Amino acid sequence: MGTATRAGIQAPRTRGASAAVPLDIRGGWRRRRHALAPYWFLLPYFLVFAVFWCWPIIDSALLSLQNTRVNPWDWNIAINWRRLLIDRAFHAALGNTLTIMAIQVPVMLTLATLLAVALNSPLLKLRPIYRFAFFAPVVVSDAAYSAVFRVLFNGQFGAVNHAFAALGLPTVEWLQDPNAMLSTVMVAMTWRWTGYNAIILLAGLQSIPRDLYEAAAIDGATPFDRFFRITLPLLKPILVFCLVLSVIGTTQLFTEPWLITDRGGPGGGAETLGTYLYKQGFVSMNFGYAAAIAYTIAGMAAVLAALNLVFTRGKQA
Amino acid sequence: MSGFGRIAGILIGTVALGLAAAGPALAQSDVKGEITVWSWNVAATALKSVVPDFNKAYPNVKVTVEDLGNQPVYDRGLAGCSAGGVNMPDVYSVENHESSVFWARFPDCFLDLKSVDAKEADLLAKFPKFKLTELTVGDKIYAMPWDSGPAVVFYRRDMYEAAGVDPAKIVTWDDFIAAGKAVQAKAGPDVKFVSNNTDSISTTWFRILANQAGCAYFDETGENVTVNQPGCVQALETVKKISDADLFLSAGWDGSLQAIKANRLASSVYGAWYEGSVRGNAPELSGKWGVFQLPAFAAGGNRAANIGGSSLAIPASSKNPQAALAFINFALGRPDSQITQLKASGLVPTLPEAINDPYIQQPQPYWGGQKVWEVVLATLSQIKPARGTQYFAEADGIADGILLAYMKGNGKSAKETLDEAAEQISAATGLPVAE
Amino acid sequence: MMLRTIGSRRRWGSWLLTGGLAPVALLWLAPLYLMGVFATLPDYAIFSPDLPLTPGGNFLENLAFLDGTANFGRAMLNSIGIATVSAALSLLLTSMAGYAFARFKFIGKQVAFSLLVATLTVPYAVLIVPQYVLVARDLALSNTWIAVIVPPLCHSIGVLFMRQTFLSLPQELLDAARIDGAREGRIFFSIALPLVRPSMAALAIILFLASWNNYLWPLLVATESGARTAPVALGSLIGLNVVPWGALMVGATLLTLPMIVVFIFLQRYFVAGITAGAVK
Repeated sequence: MGTATRAGIQAPRTRGASAAVPLDIRGGWRRRRHALAPYWFLLPYFLVFAVFWCWPIIDSALLSLQNTRVNPWDWNIAINWRRLLIDRAFHAALGNTLTIMAIQVPVMLTLATLLAVALNSPLLKLRPIYRFAFFAPVVVSDAAYSAVFRVLFNGQFGAVNHAFAALGLPTVEWLQDPNAMLSTVMVAMTWRWTGYNAIILLAGLQSIPRDLYEAAAIDGATPFDRFFRITLPLLKPILVFCLVLSVIGTTQLFTEPWLITDRGGPGGGAETLGTYLYKQGFVSMNFGYAAAIAYTIAGMAAVLAALNLVFTRGKQA
Repeated sequence: MSGFGRIAGILIGTVALGLAAAGPALAQSDVKGEITVWSWNVAATALKSVVPDFNKAYPNVKVTVEDLGNQPVYDRGLAGCSAGGVNMPDVYSVENHESSVFWARFPDCFLDLKSVDAKEADLLAKFPKFKLTELTVGDKIYAMPWDSGPAVVFYRRDMYEAAGVDPAKIVTWDDFIAAGKAVQAKAGPDVKFVSNNTDSISTTWFRILANQAGCAYFDETGENVTVNQPGCVQALETVKKISDADLFLSAGWDGSLQAIKANRLASSVYGAWYEGSVRGNAPELSGKWGVFQLPAFAAGGNRAANIGGSSLAIPASSKNPQAALAFINFALGRPDSQITQLKASGLVPTLPEAINDPYIQQPQPYWGGQKVWEVVLATLSQIKPARGTQYFAEADGIADGILLAYMKGNGKSAKETLDEAAEQISAATGLPVAE
Repeated sequence: MMLRTIGSRRRWGSWLLTGGLAPVALLWLAPLYLMGVFATLPDYAIFSPDLPLTPGGNFLENLAFLDGTANFGRAMLNSIGIATVSAALSLLLTSMAGYAFARFKFIGKQVAFSLLVATLTVPYAVLIVPQYVLVARDLALSNTWIAVIVPPLCHSIGVLFMRQTFLSLPQELLDAARIDGAREGRIFFSIALPLVRPSMAALAIILFLASWNNYLWPLLVATESGARTAPVALGSLIGLNVVPWGALMVGATLLTLPMIVVFIFLQRYFVAGITAGAVK
């Protein structure tokens, strides 16, 4: 982690003063300037923060209480929130998002863990090549890899269907069939984010002391035992972190479904909360409803994150 | 609206009015400036083909036609208007059924054409009334009608012939299905009979057949939801029959053209403007294609429907509304220009004078010497008008999911499916479902 | 003897693991490889019945089309410029804020800090509509670099990271400078910052990557072809009626290649930045 390199710095002339003693003894105005200093340091960040984070958070809440389909906008507290309850398309998008969360996230994290263990193993040769293969997708732009997967999964001419045909499997309309569309998005996301999570998990693995394993080996523990009794429990905090991050990211997923399946695909097969929000906000120009959807996403993310933490903390010894 | 944008808009509008009221129209060489035109695909090609003639009459106007793609033009128009009228071109292409959202939601975003030049009303009066309905709000006319999209069946002569199918004998949709099975049986598993034209949305087929049956998402007043009326139910059932007969190639715009080029598609049901796309995309197939009118639901029934059709509007933020209007009038208001566009891209003119041009009567070599424009224009008078309303995009999106589930086979009947769609559209728009 | 058995078992296991992972790695590399190959092929070859696996000669042609249709060259310049300025500015802002939290006591510190942490989990979705209305409509700043750069500048995780980093600085060093009469600003820029260069590098890379890859926000506020960033220009090609697949893949490659090269050379910093939030 971030380091301050103490080596090579001359020991300063210190009087051994403690950190709390104010050190500008040359006068009141200096002291005041020193006291104001932290505010000056904070100012630029918090200025941008106030305008582009705090205000929008408030404004979104306000927008969700207005009817933005009339000209000029009208206050109408329930119109958007009530629509959420009966909007079938919103429920479908919600269902898709939850499906992705329930399937893609666990699969990806499992793969990432296995990958991290493999990369950490002293038995592995050609490590740099493997690291590159799995980590490179992390730096690929969303737009770029969405385009690539759109080509690969094309129903008529894509590489995936070619491979399926060669293996004797029936070809699938990946980008047109409602059931297949979501799978395509999930495969793409797994490709992209497994490496990212593996990087984090690998760091976690590397911080587990070796002698724990050695002691266990002496006691006759099998690799299986070592994995489930030592590795996983110690990896848990990091796994939870990855889980929460993935869950929050999935709740607002936009770019992949939008670009891979052409705006959520025919029939909304890959419609997620993110794409639905975009359509309501920036295609139908219904800002109020989009804001209501946004807050629903926020609420969901908060609840799911909290649930994750509670669930996993409870099991800890 | 941004303060500056508003002031600029008012200034321009005032100047334009002043000019219009000041006396005789400006001489053509006095009209000058640079104008940007947004359009898509073959429509953009058509406009580009008019520019040289335009510049002979108006030498001091520089015209740049940008092909941005159909959806992006719509999206960016909405975004620009919602941002107060920024980043808009001088001439904006808009599809008629999608245009109402602009006039209703952003009434200040586009100019009333009559306000740019008082004589405009005379020219606009030449167009058929039903084309102007969707472009008019109260006293203001926001755009000039351009082309319309009468739907026909484009077909491969050789593939039909090989299967022993005579297109003249295809009178009903049941005939169409039978022909499809015959053609597919003969041509083998690589060839599909017709494309379902599904890009990001799957409702194109439904909308064509519904219009044929005189039904649409909303009624003519635009105040009731009518998607579950008997005409629409019949349309949906027919599309399902075609799908169940396994005649559809599941492909969008791009995929369908690729399939045509690869000899894997035997027909396509689309607006007549598709003519230019087929011809431009696969010139090597010249002589092998033809057209025939839509099959009817029952013998003797309506064989006409409309899909698409656009207009040109002038955003209020344009710095050269005079030049923009001059271009629009030239491109759309003259029979010669409309025929030029017909030749370039297959855009069907709506100006009545253009319909009488001798070119319409000419045999077209690409289409096996058939007088395709005669066939197409013969259907114009039977097309039933349909209103898009400002909720069109949302209704279409809602219908898309529900209809697709039905097409995949979810055990519901067409009537139940459309009842559900009507209910959802009603909930989303606040409009009541018609009895 | 026991050692030899263990040794051979280890070697056997080693080859098993290395070999077993190989097909997975190949699968993982396939999309990037095909992206590069497709970038060099004409459109009809990409969609031929046989899957092409070797590069062709159409790269320049596709590139020309890409630049002509989507103004990609300009978009790349925009992306490079915006990402650089964005990373630098964001780095500056988060460093300063992190330094303030780490090394000063002041009124309101707890409140400000809590605010920061509280907004960590706010999804971007909540912000985007008001941000758009503010920037595009009220301030009329569409298609300017300011509009693309400023709103995404805040990264609370970055502030926490820099705070963590600055906490580990020796207090004596900073105090000594104060005694010598140095102004706080000078202390920060001349002493504190140089000491945390590795952390700054890691954060800078992550920030650059985030800005480079950002799709949704530039999509909304930079719509004109001359103002677009590269990912948005790329996405615009997908929206065309006839998609130029070869050109699209060229764009994807150009977008990806620089970052992969940077990644290969600066992998250490990438990893440091990514793991920063997790391993406290």
